[in-house]
Parts: sequence; C-alpha cells; structure tokens
Amino acid sequence: MTNPLSLWNFYFRNKRKVLPVIGILALAILGVVVTDSLLASARETAYATFGSYQKLILVAPRATRDQDLANPLQDSLTRLHDVQLQVDTLDGPGGITSYYNAVVALPAQVRAQLPAVQRLQVDSANARYYAGRLRGDLVPLGDLIVRVQRLQSEQQAFNQLVTQLTQNPNDPRPLITYLQQHQTFLRSVLPDSAQLGRLQLAVTSASADANGLQQSLQAMNRDTANLNSAGQNVANLPLPPSPSATIDQFRSALDRLTASLGSIEQPQPGLDKLLADSAHIPGTALVKRDAYSNLDINLLAGNAQFDLYGIDQPGMTQLLTLYGDRVVAGRLPRQNASEIAVSEEIARARHVSVGSKLGNNVDELDRLPDAFTVVGIIGGPTRLGVIPLDYMTEHYLFERRYQGLIVIPQAGHAQTVHDELQRLVGDQAFRLFDWPYIKAKIDSLIANLDSINRFLILLVTLVLSLVVGLLNNLFFRQRMNEFGLLAAVGYSRWGLIRRVALESFGVTLAAWLLGVGIAVAVLSWFNTVFMVPHGLLMNVFDWNVLALHTLPIPLMVFLFGMGTVGWQLLRLDPISIIERRD
Amino acid sequence: MLSAKDLALDYRTGGSVAHAVDTVSLNVGRGSFVGLVGPSGSGKSSLMYLLSGLKRPSRGAVSFEDRDYANLSGAGLMRLRRRRFGFVFQQHFLVNYLSAFENVMVGAVERDHDTAAYAQALLHRVGLGDKLLKRPYQLSIGERQRVAVARALVHRPAVVFADEPTASLDQATGHEVVNLLADYRRSGGGSLLVVTHDPAMLSDADRVLQMRDGRLMAA
Ligand SMILES: Nc1ncnc2c1ncn2[C@@H]1O[C@H](COP(=O)(O)OP(=O)(O)OP(=O)(O)O)[C@@H](O)[C@H]1O
Ligand SMILES: [Mg+2]
Repeated sequence: MTNPLSLWNFYFRNKRKVLPVIGILALAILGVVVTDSLLASARETAYATFGSYQKLILVAPRATRDQDLANPLQDSLTRLHDVQLQVDTLDGPGGITSYYNAVVALPAQVRAQLPAVQRLQVDSANARYYAGRLRGDLVPLGDLIVRVQRLQSEQQAFNQLVTQLTQNPNDPRPLITYLQQHQTFLRSVLPDSAQLGRLQLAVTSASADANGLQQSLQAMNRDTANLNSAGQNVANLPLPPSPSATIDQFRSALDRLTASLGSIEQPQPGLDKLLADSAHIPGTALVKRDAYSNLDINLLAGNAQFDLYGIDQPGMTQLLTLYGDRVVAGRLPRQNASEIAVSEEIARARHVSVGSKLGNNVDELDRLPDAFTVVGIIGGPTRLGVIPLDYMTEHYLFERRYQGLIVIPQAGHAQTVHDELQRLVGDQAFRLFDWPYIKAKIDSLIANLDSINRFLILLVTLVLSLVVGLLNNLFFRQRMNEFGLLAAVGYSRWGLIRRVALESFGVTLAAWLLGVGIAVAVLSWFNTVFMVPHGLLMNVFDWNVLALHTLPIPLMVFLFGMGTVGWQLLRLDPISIIERRD
Repeated sequence: MLSAKDLALDYRTGGSVAHAVDTVSLNVGRGSFVGLVGPSGSGKSSLMYLLSGLKRPSRGAVSFEDRDYANLSGAGLMRLRRRRFGFVFQQHFLVNYLSAFENVMVGAVERDHDTAAYAQALLHRVGLGDKLLKRPYQLSIGERQRVAVARALVHRPAVVFADEPTASLDQATGHEVVNLLADYRRSGGGSLLVVTHDPAMLSDADRVLQMRDGRLMAA
C-alpha cells in the first residue's frame, strides 16, 4: 500500500503548480548552458583562428597603416584646404572679382563725366575770349586816362594864375600867357566826336566782355567742382588683395603632399636589414617577407581579423608543410596573381568556395584590397590564408609600404628567437607578434566576457532563487492547512521538513535534468546548423559547463526555498491553524 | 486511562494573564464517552489541547496510561498523538490533492493491506463507499467531515478528541457524524472526548462536563 503523501502523488496531483517551476528552472539552466558553451566556443574558435601564431613570429611595421599614412597626407591636405579657402575668398565677393567689376565699370563712369569736361572746355574758351577782348577794350580807355592827367596839370596852372593876379592885379601878362596856353591845351585835351564814339563803344564792349568773362569763370568753377566730385569715385576703386602669402602657402602645401606621397612608396626603413639579420639568428628555420593582410570573420564574441600571409610561392608550400596542412581543393595562388587560398573553416565562415571573391570590394571590413579570387581551399589542423607577395607589393602602395616578416623558429627555440629578434628590432618601428602575446589578448578578451557571464549567472541564480523561493512560499502557504493538520495529528516536524525538502529536491533535480537535456539538444542542433557551417568550434558535451556551471542554480533555489519553508515549518503552530476560521 | 491533575493553562498577553484552564482534575476511563460543554471562551479547546499533548500545561500534570506527559519529549508526545489519539476538528483539514481514501490513509500508522481494507470499510460505514476516489472539493461539507472522522479512526486510536466536529454542519448531519464516533466507541474502539455547543449531540455520552471560566462544574 503506497503512502498517500508520497512524492509521486504530490508531483502528479500538483502538475499545474510544479511544471511551471520546473519549466522556469529548466529554461534558466538552458540559458546558462547556452551562454557558457557559446563563450567556450568563442575562446576555442579564437585560438583556432589565430592558431598559426603558435609556430611563427610576425614582425610588423609598428605604425598602423592609418596612422602612418593618414597623418602626413591629412596634414598636407588640411593645409591645401586652408589655402583653397583663401583662394576662394581671393576670387569671391570683395576679392578680385569685385575689383574686376569695378574696373570694367570705369569707362562708363568716365564717359558719364565727358559732357562736364566738354562744358568746361567751352566755358574756359569763352573766358579766354572775353579776357582778350577786355584787354582790347581797355586800349581807348588808356588815352582817356592820359587826358585826365593833363587836366590835373591844367588845374595847377590855373591855381598859379589866380595867385599871380591876386599879387599883381594890374599886370595882365600872366593872364594873357595863361589864355594863350589854355587855348592850345583845351584843344589838346578835349576829345573829338570820333574819339568819343570810339570811347563809348569801348566801354560798352568792355562791360559786356567783363560780364561774359565773369559768367565763363563761374561756369568753370561749377564744372570743375562737378568733375572733382565725380573724379573722387574713380579714385575710390578697391585695392586689389595682395597675393603673395596665399600663393606661397599653396606652393608649400603642394610640396609637402609630394613629399608624403613619396615616403609612402618605400617599405618601412630597416626591413631589408632585418630580413638579412634575422636569417642568421640561431634556431631560425625560415624568414620570409610578408605583405600581410587580413579578412574579417565572425568569432561569436565579435568580429576578428583573420591574418593572411602575403609570401612568395616557395614560402606558401613551406608554410603548409610546417603546419601539416594541405590543399584540399583547387591550388595555391600563382605568382603575381590576384588570388588567395584559405582554410576550409574560414571559407565556410565567409561562405566562399573555389572561384569566389574575397576582399575589400566584397566586405568592406576586409583589409585585403580589391577582390581576390579564391583558388584553393586548405585543410588541416591549422587555419591559414595565403596571398602572393609580388602581387601585393607591386599593385598596392600600402602593401609595399607595410610589408613585414614572418620568422619561423625551430621547435623549442621560439623564446630565444623572439628575444633575439626583439634585440635586432631595437627601437626601430617594428613590433613582434607571437603566440604568448596573441593568446594573452584572446584570454583577456574572453576574460571580460567571462566575468560578464559569471555576473549574469549569479544574477539569474539570485533572481531565480528569489522567484522560485517566493513561489515555493506561496504554495507552502496554500498548504498550511495540510501541514498544520499533519503536525497536529502527530507527524514529526523534521519528518515534514524532510518531506518538503524531498519535494523541492525532486523539482529542482527534474528541472536540472530537463534543462541540461534540452541544452544538449539545442546545442547539438545549433552546432550542426550554425557553428560548423560558419567555421566555429563548439564542444556540445562540455561537462564542466553542463555539470559544474549549472549546479549553482538548482542548489541555490533549493537552499533558498528550503531555508524559508523549513524555517516556517519549524515555527509552525498547529493550534493556530486549527483555530483559524477561514 | 487519561487523567489530569490540577491542570492549569495561563495565556499571557501583554501585562494581563488569562486563566484559560484553571485547576482542572479529570479522569477519562477506557472506552468512555465524555462530553464537554460550556460557553465560548470557557477553556474547552484549551483543556483538549492539554489532554492531547498539543500544549504543555502551565501547572498540573496529565498522564496517559500512567505515563506522565512531563516525562515525554516533544517527539514522544508526537508519537503518542500519531499512534494512540485521533483528532476531529471543526474543519475537516483534508488534503485537497488526495482522494477520500488517501485522506483517510494519511491517518494510518501502518500502510498495509489490512489498514487499507479497514480504511475502505470505514468509508463504507460513513456512507462514502462509492466515493472513495473523490477529491475533497467533489464532496459535500458533511461528507468531508465524515472523511475526517474516518481519518481519525483508521489507526484505531485509544482516545478520539473531537473539538466541535459538528459546528459547521446542520443538526442532522452533525448527528450522523457524532453517531459515527459513538459507534466507534461502542464497538470497543476507544474513548471519546467531544467538545460541543450542542448538548443534543451528547445523548450517548457517559458524562457531560460543564466548563466555565476555565473550571469544571458538575453537570
Ligand atoms: N493564543 C491565546 N492567547 C491568549 N489567550 C487565548 C489564546 N487562546 C485562547 N485564549 C483565551 O483562553 C480562553 C479559553 O479559550 P478556548 O479557546 O479554550 O475557549 P473555548 O471554550 O474553546 O471557546 P470556544 O467555544 O469559543 O471555542 C479564552 O478566554 C481565550 O480568549
Ligand atoms: Mg474552542
């Protein structure tokens, strides 16, 4: 005979309350497993993507393309732009154009002044005419003046006669002399009618001429004032801008541009010597020029740059041999051809096959310029991508400038070769990338995500504990009567607690199994439909993830739920329940 | 068999002390039916809790079959209630996700075939032979209380404590429920201690005790 208070009865009869709780917990566990697995997958995929660094050291020019190229070019271009602005203002409103317009308008202005000038000419001609006439007019008047002077001396002679006659009244001789003299004098002094007519004419004409002269002079004054004010506009023409400073700046900006363009065409200084020297480092297997480039690929944790090696044809074969890789479809890129061969995982991630194109024209996040034809697919343990060195350096300025080296140490010599290379590089503008460096970068990137993930798991665990714990409490309150009665009729307190604990344990265990089960199913499905086709790595049965990382949720939920319910059960007073009247 | 001596229970609330049970001495013989009546608040329930070991007394002593409760641990008292006592309360307190039969089996100490058969027989006897598998919410209130009575009897307790078992029932149904208990006593099952407001329920009782202000009065 079964116990009516068995777990099975409880679960089976309370499906509607138990299943949602199991569902919530299972979903949370599913979520934890999925995020955890994706994170682990991101790390593994990142390791695999940069796996080639495990056997080589990349010597790259220190400056990035952008910094090294953009700065001088940009500086020159900024200057050019400044000059351009100045030239614009030179030519624009207030500049040469308006000056030109003013000069063009000048003839019209001068032409407008012409009538006034002509009038001035006429007026001054008139004035000269009147002045000449006036001089002529004055000649007859001069004769009149002489006669008036004579009349004045006659007055003196008369005064002398009066004096003599007063002194000697009886002497008639002075009077006779005076009268004789006076007759001739009068004859000489008085003009004849002809003379008088001429004189009158002269005066009339002189007066008319003076009048004419005066009017002419007034007209000239007026004309001159007019012309002067008009002439001032002409003198007010804008001063043409001084051109020399602008043009000097323009020429120096052009010179700088030429210089920066010239410097870009050369490889990083010191590369050739480094190539020669590093070949002599003991423990070095191979040194190759490398016009490296890269492809943009998705790593789950974000996009990453997959490094391509731009090396010569023998180098490609050597590289494949070194990593134990081989060409599984197509062939390696030919000399001086716009061709590329990549590992199958990368090809999958980029959805390309033999004959497809890769490069900046296809995906603008690719550093690989233009579009390269995929001619080969590489298979094997290490992901590789190769492009021809000669094509890169002969067709692309940047790649010629930014070539570096790959240095492949013999097994066990990685550290010594790295140190020696570092010494050779000294303070030249090169830097070394090797596996310890790359791995540390990946780890720190993942570590950030990892701590976010841990925080999320913690949060989910806490929130779920609270939610499920509260639900538990709610159910428990609904079952107060049940527990009150059981306690009253003699069921032991610890027995009741054990029963609730078993119930909770059963629920959380079921939820955990369900969650992990669904998670494995979902991950397997996701792995086949997404991860593998995209060249991403995932371990579906990572027991570390499946078991360890998911356990805190059911554990916390169980402990929290049991803590609160157990506490209430311990304090449960059956009498208070029995006496309660609902 | 069940005896109390100078039993007292005080409730301290704030500064005041309520003497819920005040110096009660009492003997319930084997197979006897004792009724307990009295006004509300007179201490009937309190006395029952003391006698059944649900509460420890403030003063005085209770013993069952010559075992003093004072010498029993909490667990000991629990075992006593579980094995030797049966309880019927005003409410049925059935577990709502269990059938009538399963609810009766909750009271069983041994869960063997005999007990199961006995549980079924009890349900037949209370008139629920055709409702063994019904859930409490599918039963009438009177039927539920009858299931509760069967649950109180299934482990053949030596004493059945019933605190106002008929209070939520009409008089006829109440009578049926009390008769079920009386039948159990008559068939030699054990003693009955029934608290009620309705003296009519106690027609079969050997003794009816009257309580007032925590004290027992002669009826
Ligand atoms: N938990 C408690 N705290 C304080 N006083 C209490 C408590 N329980 C009961 N009392 C008091 O003890 C006295 C007896 O109560 P009890 O419940 O035993 O009476 P009763 O006779 O069963 O009444 P009723 O017929 O209403 O059930 C009452 O005065 C009551 O107020
Ligand atoms: Mg009462």
